[in-house]
Amino acid sequence: MVLYESFFLYPSALYATQKPNHITTILGSCVAVCLWDPLYKYGGMCHYMLPLWNGEGLASPKYGNIAIEKLIEKMISFGSKKENIQAKIFGGGDIFQRRLNHFNIGEKNIWIAQSYLKEQNVPIISSSTGGESGRKIIFNTYNGEVRQRYVRKQTEL
Amino acid sequence: MSQLNDQELINELVKRFDETKKALSEVQKLNEELKEVNKKLEESESMKSHFISNITNEIINPFASILALSKNILSVEKENWKKVITMVSHIYTEAFHLDFQFRNIFAAAKLEAGEVVPEILNVDVSSLVESIIESFSHLAKKKFIGIELKNDLKEEKSKIVLFKTDPEKLRLIISNLLSNAINFSFEKSRIIIKIWKSENFLLISVQDFGTGISVENQKIIFDRFKRLSSGIDSINRGHGLGLSVNKAMIDLLGGKIDIKTELNKGSVFTVCIPEYDGEISGIAFDDNEFFFNSDEVKMSENDKEEVF
Repeated sequence: MVLYESFFLYPSALYATQKPNHITTILGSCVAVCLWDPLYKYGGMCHYMLPLWNGEGLASPKYGNIAIEKLIEKMISFGSKKENIQAKIFGGGDIFQRRLNHFNIGEKNIWIAQSYLKEQNVPIISSSTGGESGRKIIFNTYNGEVRQRYVRKQTEL
Repeated sequence: MSQLNDQELINELVKRFDETKKALSEVQKLNEELKEVNKKLEESESMKSHFISNITNEIINPFASILALSKNILSVEKENWKKVITMVSHIYTEAFHLDFQFRNIFAAAKLEAGEVVPEILNVDVSSLVESIIESFSHLAKKKFIGIELKNDLKEEKSKIVLFKTDPEKLRLIISNLLSNAINFSFEKSRIIIKIWKSENFLLISVQDFGTGISVENQKIIFDRFKRLSSGIDSINRGHGLGLSVNKAMIDLLGGKIDIKTELNKGSVFTVCIPEYDGEISGIAFDDNEFFFNSDEVKMSENDKEEVF
C-alpha cells in the first residue's frame, strides 16, 4: 500500500518530491508540465502563466522557460538521469475564446513547453492541450498517472 | 460553387488584405518587443555581476560596523557608559538594515525557486501597519521625516477590522514601500500612509514628497537589481530587489500595484489586494478564480475523468 501526500500547486510555483504525492492544479491558459522518472518513481510539476521571461520582475517560474528549466534541474538534483525523464503537458486553453490575436497566450504557452522539452531531449509521452475549457489535473508522482477533468467556470469572464 | 459578382470579389479581397496588414503589423510589434527583451536580458546579465559586488558591500559593511561597535562597547570605561546607548542604537540600525535586506534576498530566492505559497490568516491590518511604521521610525527620524497614518479601517467601527490575507507577505510589501519612501524623501519632509477598504479590497497607499520617478524609469523599477541611483555617490542603500519582490508577492495575493509620480514632487504607490474568500469567483484575471477556491470548482456533470 502506497501512502500519498497531497499538494495543491499554485500558479507560478513548482513542486517536485521524491515521496508519493498527488499534485493538484487548475489550469486555464496556463500550462502545467509534469515530469516523471519511471525508474525511481517520483516526479514534479510546474505551473506557469506566461511563456518567456522578458527581463521584467523576478526570473520566477511564472514564466515557462524558467519553470521547465528549474523543474528539470530539480529532478536531476534528486538523482534522476535526464534521459529517463518523461514529460506530460496540460493546459493552454483559449479560455477567453477571443480570437483577437493571431498568437494567443495559451498557444504560446504550449509552444514553449514543446520546443523547450524537445531541445532538452525530454520526450512528451502524452498531453492534453488547447481547446476552450479549463482543466483540473491530479498528478500521481508514484505511478506517473495524470487524471484530468475539464472545468467550466461558474461565471464567464 | 456560387458565382461571386465583382463587388463581392473586391470586398473579399479588401478584407483579406486588411487581415494580412493586421498580421504584419502584429509581427512587427512582436519584433520590436523582441528587440526590447534582448536588450533587457543583456542588461540583466551585467546587472547580476553588479549585484554580487553590491551585495558584498551591503552585507559586509554593516557587519563590520556591528562588530567594531560591539567591540568598542566591550572596552568602554564604567564612567562613560552613556556612550553605550548611542553605540547600541547604531548597532540596532545596522542590524535592522541587514535583517530587512536578508528578508528581501530570501524572499526573492524563494520566489524564483517557485516555492512560495500564500498562508492566509485573519489579519489585523491596522496594527500590522502600525508596527511597521514603528520599526521604521528610527530611520525616518534620522532624516527628520514625519510619518502620518490615515487609517479608515479604524473609523468604521471601534471594533478591530480583520482582513483575510497573508500577513508576512503583506508586511514585506508595506515595509519595502515605506523603506523606499524614506530613502527617496528629501530631509525634513513627510510620508503619508493611507489604509482603506473598498468592497472586498484592501488598499494601502504610501506617499512621499521626494525625488519622484521619471517616465522612462517607471518602466524598469520592478525589474530585479535595478536601482535608480546606483553610482558610487548614491546616498541610497539597497540592492534593487524590493520592488521586484513586491510585484511578485502582490501577484501571488492576486492584487495590483499602481504608481503615480512626478519628478521632484514625490510619488504615491498604491497596493490593492483582494480579500481571500472561499465564495469569490470570477476575479478578473486568468486563474485567480481557481486560485481562491481551489477545492470548490464545480465540475459539470458530463465531464468525465480522463487518465493520461
